[in-house]
Amino acid sequence: MTISVGLNCPACGGAIQVTEGDNVLNCGYCGSLLWVEGDTGVLTVAYRNMQDRDGVLRATERWWKKGFKARNLGQRGNLRECYPIYLPFWSTTTRVAGWICGYEERHYTDRNGNTRTERVPKEEMVLRDYRYTGIACDPGDLGIKYLRNTAGEASFADFESIPTFESTTSKDDMIESSKQSALHDAHRDADVPHVTFEKVTVIPKNIAQIYYPVWVVRYAYGERMYMVTVDGVTGEILSGRAPGDPLYQSLAVTGGTSVGGLIAAAGLVLGAAAEEPYFIIGGLFIGVVILGFTYLFFRHGSEIIEGDFKDKRATSPMDWIRSNLGGLRI
Amino acid sequence: MASMKCTKCGAPVEFDVGDKFVKCSYCSSQIFIDRSGAGFYYALPFAIGESEAVGIFRRWAGGSTRAKDLDKLAQISSLKKQYFPVYLFKRDVNGMEQIHVEPAASTTLPGLHSLKVPGGDLKIFDDKFDAGGAELIKPDIEMAPYLEQLPGTPKEQALVYFPIWRLDYVFEQRRYVVVISASSSEIFSGDFPARSSGAYMLVAGVGFLAFLGEGLLALASTALALGLMAITVVGVFVAANFVARRM
Repeated sequence: MTISVGLNCPACGGAIQVTEGDNVLNCGYCGSLLWVEGDTGVLTVAYRNMQDRDGVLRATERWWKKGFKARNLGQRGNLRECYPIYLPFWSTTTRVAGWICGYEERHYTDRNGNTRTERVPKEEMVLRDYRYTGIACDPGDLGIKYLRNTAGEASFADFESIPTFESTTSKDDMIESSKQSALHDAHRDADVPHVTFEKVTVIPKNIAQIYYPVWVVRYAYGERMYMVTVDGVTGEILSGRAPGDPLYQSLAVTGGTSVGGLIAAAGLVLGAAAEEPYFIIGGLFIGVVILGFTYLFFRHGSEIIEGDFKDKRATSPMDWIRSNLGGLRI
Repeated sequence: MASMKCTKCGAPVEFDVGDKFVKCSYCSSQIFIDRSGAGFYYALPFAIGESEAVGIFRRWAGGSTRAKDLDKLAQISSLKKQYFPVYLFKRDVNGMEQIHVEPAASTTLPGLHSLKVPGGDLKIFDDKFDAGGAELIKPDIEMAPYLEQLPGTPKEQALVYFPIWRLDYVFEQRRYVVVISASSSEIFSGDFPARSSGAYMLVAGVGFLAFLGEGLLALASTALALGLMAITVVGVFVAANFVARRM
């Protein structure tokens, strides 16, 4: 069995040129319109790398000084390796078209405390293109899952000199997940709280593969190796790991216990004085939430993690709620 | 780079892992590479050297859930450079592309059961490929049984060697093992010496209750409460600092 197939125009026999992702083309000799069947691949673009080694290292050093990282990282951090790679991403455009009908409920309370509910009918037309990106290989410990920037100069000029990560995920999985995300986002944008009727069509418009330049920087802090990734187009830090500082951890829990404890106490005192149980519950709740967040930083702040890492712990309340929906971790 | 003969002129044409269409550099005709009936051998190069692998292990060992000072106290008993094989199948199922990854060698190492091909610069594995002195783990599971079970029709099948550092360490007379992917630097571990959250929770809990009590006390005697709060702030900070550094 042979693995190579020569391509000829079925009309004139001339050699034809196909670009990946195309399924309609003209023969260069006789001009016949041809339809390509089988595995035509996907349109692939590579973005030009706009950063150099020095710029990336300086960006890393600036990142070291930001946030609650070890205070002596500037002196003790030792840059070891710095190299660019091309990472593959899927980029999809998905159109959502249709109507979502339903109503919104509004509550009014008058002076006597009577509540009146009004239903406002809503009829929203949906017609939008949604664009999603997703990494097309296993990101491993790079901490990158999506493209934040999708603008850049398309060029294959550096393609041979920069190591290229091969895409190893299915494009159809990406199309499928884009369809679901688009439908979800269309519902969110239509903003109809109670849906009574909907007729919505989700149409995958196109999928492309983007090779995006990313710089990987590895640095040592003591005997430990940490890493940072830098966007090869914009020069921004995409993800990174850095040592934390026990001073910030201790300050966080000192602040959290004092502020949280005093708010809880204030809630108890005010609630008891005004005979309003909501004050007590609210004060305790706010106090415990503040304590909880500062506790998480105290417990896990010895390593600062930015980006989409699997072992990332919450640094913002929204992240925390998202990552703990499946069960509470301490 | 692998090569094949041009279907038109017979000249050698080189192609790489991701290529679907290649152009013959002699007669400039375009050739489609049909991978559905062939099996390929791919490998990922080592992107992480020995000292980096140890450094990544120490970073991981210093993490907040690992036993205190594991990064300093763990004694590395061996560090092996290995290539581990997995099968990568691309199938066409009702017009949809599906990717399946299956083990090609039996192992008890952590992480190698999660079955994925780590990100990396896939190269064609032939006699020109430089394994860099790494030990090749021989595939002991055949590809053919998988081919019969998988859904759809084949698009591509390959044996992929991915590079790992196998690191064995000893901590308090017990042996542990971690696997570091030398392509994506991800670290896989089974059992590891864990750190207790007890001291951390104690500091946070006692501090919170102390401030809560002092807040209530402020109703009776503001001056006394403020004095106690000042002492508690210092106490919590000192205790927290000790716990964060030592526990």
